[in-house]
Amino acid sequence: MKIDKKEKAVVVIGSGPGGAQVAYQLTKQGIPVVLLEAGRRIMKEEYVNEEWPAFSQMAWLDKRTMTGNSRIVKDFNGLPTWLVKAVGGTATHWAGATPRFLDYEWKTKSTYGSVDGATLMDWPIDGKEMKPYYVKAEDAIGSTHRGGRPALPANNNYKVFAEGAKRNGYKFYATGPYGTNAAPYDGRPASVQDGFNFQGDKSGAKWNPNVSEIPKALATGKLELRENSQAVQITTDSSGKADGVLYMDTKTKALHRQEAKVICVAGNSIETPRLFLMSASARHPNGLANSSDQVGRNYMRHLTGSVYATFDKPVNFFRGETMAGFLADEVKHNPKRGFVGGYYLETLALGPSFLGAFLDPGKWGKKFADMMDGYQNMAGMWIVGEDMPQANNRITLGSAKDAFGLPAPNVHFDDHPNDTAMRNHAYEKGEAIYKAVGATQTYRVTPYPHTHNLGSMRMSAKAKDGVVDKYGRCHDVKNLFVSDGSVMTTGAACNPTLTITALAIRQGEYLAEQLKKGNV
Amino acid sequence: MKITRRELLISAGSLLAYSQLGSLANAEVNIAAQPGDQEMIASMCKALYPHDRFPMNIYMDIAAGAIKKGNADTGAKISFRAGLDGLKINSFDKMSFKKQTKYLNSIANTPFFGLVRGHTVVALYDHKEVHKIFGYQGASFDRGGYKDGEYNDLSWLPEPRIEEHPDLTAFLDDSSPKKYASLKTKKTF
Repeated sequence: MKIDKKEKAVVVIGSGPGGAQVAYQLTKQGIPVVLLEAGRRIMKEEYVNEEWPAFSQMAWLDKRTMTGNSRIVKDFNGLPTWLVKAVGGTATHWAGATPRFLDYEWKTKSTYGSVDGATLMDWPIDGKEMKPYYVKAEDAIGSTHRGGRPALPANNNYKVFAEGAKRNGYKFYATGPYGTNAAPYDGRPASVQDGFNFQGDKSGAKWNPNVSEIPKALATGKLELRENSQAVQITTDSSGKADGVLYMDTKTKALHRQEAKVICVAGNSIETPRLFLMSASARHPNGLANSSDQVGRNYMRHLTGSVYATFDKPVNFFRGETMAGFLADEVKHNPKRGFVGGYYLETLALGPSFLGAFLDPGKWGKKFADMMDGYQNMAGMWIVGEDMPQANNRITLGSAKDAFGLPAPNVHFDDHPNDTAMRNHAYEKGEAIYKAVGATQTYRVTPYPHTHNLGSMRMSAKAKDGVVDKYGRCHDVKNLFVSDGSVMTTGAACNPTLTITALAIRQGEYLAEQLKKGNV
Repeated sequence: MKITRRELLISAGSLLAYSQLGSLANAEVNIAAQPGDQEMIASMCKALYPHDRFPMNIYMDIAAGAIKKGNADTGAKISFRAGLDGLKINSFDKMSFKKQTKYLNSIANTPFFGLVRGHTVVALYDHKEVHKIFGYQGASFDRGGYKDGEYNDLSWLPEPRIEEHPDLTAFLDDSSPKKYASLKTKKTF
């Protein structure tokens, strides 16, 4: 469908799990949508099963600067995150884990109490309200182990992980829930265990919007998908409502304007606040919808880290599904461990190309080479846990400019002592898992450039405490919505994509209803 | 391939070094163009990431890439030339491995070292021959993926359960804010 730029349209910015889902929910109900995507549409046949070429094909490499005390500032300066600039967004390289929030993770301030230096806050929604949307999200993604869908088989990396977990007395391990089909589902095939979910997955067995919501929304005839269209400013009218989006054709650098009656922004936790800050005007001098001064603040990215181990026998951990191994025993809040919140352990495999870059960034010498030499006998897992929101962990507009002359975002992040305590606990437990099955060496690996980027446009009951309300609608600008993981008040322990999807389905249904009633 | 300012800025971090692999500027004066220069750089690459299993031709490939980068612009040329001179004056390639390591530590803060190390860690472990030596098979999509009996061929541990534990749902559902708020927080920081 072609929508005139002068027509006051519903405009969605960003085609990742949040934006594509909202666009699909609206078009499904007959509401036309213009979907602006900064990247291009890479069809699944184009995905490359090699780590660096795939990275070059899809990673968001626009200029960013970094500050803060985390090691990544030194190791990967300029690349705080590992996000995707393409239709489907970062779900293109998403591995696939789909756990849900626990009930108390919606209410961390009430549950954990005050934690020094942290800005914990309760979400304005709860587990009960979200439960039906989680079911819809699992069905949309096709999560294994849910909705009667079968489990994926064990690959070699999982065999090591599961047996090690068992010998440590853990119970809650399985090959999912995971967003890659074990059996054909929703027009997509079963996994062929080719092991390249991080590179897009050529088979289509892995859910991502580019093989699901985007084609479905296009099939309604109500979607206009504009690729290579990077939003750079949201404009407002004299009443303070959003009335248009300025966006740039990234190929020609020409600037265009789409008139809008409703705008949903889903640019992930760096680009979304950046866009709001770049939309400052006389009416919104501190940035759009920022009377609370919360735009860009409380940026979270999960506590992460990895544990690798080598054994005296081959593992070949790179074969099969990248992350189809899951351990939930450590997820429960248990302050006796010396920190609040909890974490999951999940299997993870990298090829030698990425492992060399990430195993111990900056290191060289015999010890490092020996670690790499054990590649064939290696197993690996990833730690993902709840990190503490902090007001000064934030996205701001820096003095540096990107290739288009726009202010580059600065990403400031300091680890909270709770994050460090949890990470150390998880390293120890991860090593214990591998030692129980005969690891000859174990390695604690520092976080990679971050893939789980949350907060920065926090959801709050009161306008003074956050940017958006319980539906992701801006407190200050009533026809402006945020539809991505940046709305997360707090991040919980679980991988965020399922929750982003659930929130987007809920927002899409709400927005469709409001549009039909003429309330927007 | 055109090298952008951004790529140069972050080339010290190895992550984006990949995007510069194979880049070569049209240069009037090339450094590291003397006989034996590539071998000298290769000996440095090997001392940085020593693998007895890797034949020297792999390190020569990596050295060629590093030299290309050393010729990428005037700044790189100046620092690369100085670094290479240092290796030559000290007969780096004739040193024992222990002495090589000591020498590399002494130059670890130079841009030359940063360039060669950053390039080597990315290019070496991305080398197709290295993948073969490591037993990494990589892409399998064109042959239908890794087969049953291949992705799960590990036989030195028992077959694990793949389904969730029957108690998992109850474990996750038992998460009321009220109950968990009653746990006392023990602050250790």
